[in-house]
Amino acid sequence: MNRLVKLYHQLGSPPTFYRITGKWLPWLLGGALVLMFWGLYDGLFVAPIDYQQRESFKISYIHVPAAWMSMFIYLAMGIAGFMALVWRMKVAEAILIASAPVGAIFTLLALLTGSLWGKPMWGTWWDWDARMTSELILLFLYIGVMATYNAYDDPRKGARVAALVAVIGLVNLPIIHFSVQWWSTIHQASTVSLFGKQHIPWSMLRGWLIMAVGTKLYYGYSVLKRARLLLLETEKNTAWVQKIIEQECRHA
Amino acid sequence: MIHLMPQKPEKLKTTVMLAALIQRDVLIGLRQKSQIYQPLVFQLLVVTMFPLGLGAGAKTLAAIAPAVIWVLALLASLLTLDHIFKVDHEDGSLETYVLSPVPLPASVLAKAGAHWLLTGLPLTLFSPIIAALMHLPESAFGTMLISLLLGTPTMSLIGSMGSALTISLKHGGLLLTVLVMPLLAPVLIFGASAILESTLGNPASGQLLALTALLVFSLTLVPFAAATAIRINLE
Amino acid sequence: MSSTTRPHHTELARLAKMKSVMPFEPSRTASQMPVKKAHEWRLQGSLLSCEREGAALFKPVSFHISAGESLLLSGPNGIGKTTLLEAIAGLRRYTSGTLRLNNKNIQDQLPAWWKSLCYIGHKDGNKKALSCLENLKFTARLHGHTPTTESLLNALDAVGLAGYEHHLAGNLSAGQKKRLSLARLPLVQAPVWILDEPFVNLDVAGNQWLLEWLDAHLQQGGMLFITAHDNQEMHRRATYRQELYPTDT
Repeated sequence: MNRLVKLYHQLGSPPTFYRITGKWLPWLLGGALVLMFWGLYDGLFVAPIDYQQRESFKISYIHVPAAWMSMFIYLAMGIAGFMALVWRMKVAEAILIASAPVGAIFTLLALLTGSLWGKPMWGTWWDWDARMTSELILLFLYIGVMATYNAYDDPRKGARVAALVAVIGLVNLPIIHFSVQWWSTIHQASTVSLFGKQHIPWSMLRGWLIMAVGTKLYYGYSVLKRARLLLLETEKNTAWVQKIIEQECRHA
Repeated sequence: MIHLMPQKPEKLKTTVMLAALIQRDVLIGLRQKSQIYQPLVFQLLVVTMFPLGLGAGAKTLAAIAPAVIWVLALLASLLTLDHIFKVDHEDGSLETYVLSPVPLPASVLAKAGAHWLLTGLPLTLFSPIIAALMHLPESAFGTMLISLLLGTPTMSLIGSMGSALTISLKHGGLLLTVLVMPLLAPVLIFGASAILESTLGNPASGQLLALTALLVFSLTLVPFAAATAIRINLE
Repeated sequence: MSSTTRPHHTELARLAKMKSVMPFEPSRTASQMPVKKAHEWRLQGSLLSCEREGAALFKPVSFHISAGESLLLSGPNGIGKTTLLEAIAGLRRYTSGTLRLNNKNIQDQLPAWWKSLCYIGHKDGNKKALSCLENLKFTARLHGHTPTTESLLNALDAVGLAGYEHHLAGNLSAGQKKRLSLARLPLVQAPVWILDEPFVNLDVAGNQWLLEWLDAHLQQGGMLFITAHDNQEMHRRATYRQELYPTDT
């Protein structure tokens, strides 16, 4: 436990964060690639074919992990935003800003694959079911965070306002989610659910779980890589960045 | 002798200050008028487009009336949100209440209250005209008024938070819309649903309670979020 | 003839008149007023610095001010005088250093600091759609005061805006707008004044009475933070002058 606390404090300082996370990057990327290929292979070729949905069910091996990630990343972003606001941590600001586009892409991916899946299932590209509508609103929340950051000339001020936007979004997310769910139950006869009520066998579930771990590693890789670049940019006048630039020049 | 220093220690009058803030904004609003009539004119213009686009069939219009009334109220109040704090920021009067011993969240509440008096209340009072134009059954008018009375203050509150988040941006209008719209989705859902239920002859108390809950929730959290946004923007 | 070009001698006569007619508490006269420092306050800034968009604006500054003293900030345009004034007022954060009020961190006693503060920035803070009288009334009430109409009229008279009470602030000239924002000083009666370029747009007579007000304020034990880039007299009179220097980078 003490080591974890120590690591947390070390990661709060931009130079140490930069140094330590540099070592993690290749492992995260390697793990992500291996798990995601394995998960996809398992889902596409090994898992049994759903008797109702047939081949179209296979898109769920992208759709489900993407939808999980879209929510997971918003949660991570909200927590980073809270830390950025309360403790004014530059690293938390960088993580927040770096998370937004990754999360938005996963959300978009979930929406697109959902739409592709919906066509054979519902006969239409878009159906206003509760999950898809919540996901769409989640995309708007991501866009809000990114647009706020970009609107400010001063990146630090932009990051702090964006942090507040992310926290406000996180607090509101349950309310939005439940009101949308309530709305969908009163407004329409329940459409064919994407997931049947039957018990999902382990052989089908396995692909999702492998993908879930793989995409989390990918998120870790992507967010750290972006956050490191953001820190280099915001801290460009400090000694530690100058030193890194010198080292890089010597290598080149 | 001109006294420039306090003659006796004065007790802080929070109510005086907050009342002054509301009174000042309302007086300016009444004098400039545009903040009051622009949302109403906008509503009237847009509501005219529906029969033109859909055909004037009373049944068709009545079917979409609950949604149209609420979407229009939402869009019309969006027009005015930008000004809540930005004008004060531009002319420097914001500093008077930011540098005040009265807590900033309280001032935010006063500002949102003034905004509601100038836009939310007129929109609510004007809604029967929109409803009549959309052929909403008269039996639903009562529910409509109550739902707007409960929903428009939430719009003013969340809107003041959006305005505070974009206070120092020159062109923050679109960003404000992006930030505020998703947060107002629940208000729209319950508001429109309340009217719809009462057109069907069902009680709408559940929806109205949900609107009340949203209002209480915004009343407690929004002032602090907006105050934080103002302070970050002034840094 | 507009008020901004009013001859000097009538202005002085008016000022003399004002001093005798304008007591805010008629029962007291100048001779009865005990000359004591209303607030034994000290404000100590050590190695304060501010930044804009991540870059430090000026070399860190330190100062130590007691009641009855004034601090004038000077330096070239864009060096951050306004930014530092705003940081002292508590409107924005300073990025390093400490600001201590009576040996306690000012961040822990901001409400008390704001209660005793009258800040007039370069934006005049007046509402265009309101008359001079209304503007003044609301500003005073936003500071938590409930002024009488008489005291409002007196304050307008003191800044040379007598007869303008029902004119809209939006129709005033730049100098008159400045006068209107300065009229809140005798109304709010704050021990600490933070004035950002108060002399800008004021005419000769305006300069004259403002200087006298500042003197009177300090004599009564007030505290003053000010920038006044083109007023030599103010530079001469300030208790402390703090020049802001650019950082080396």
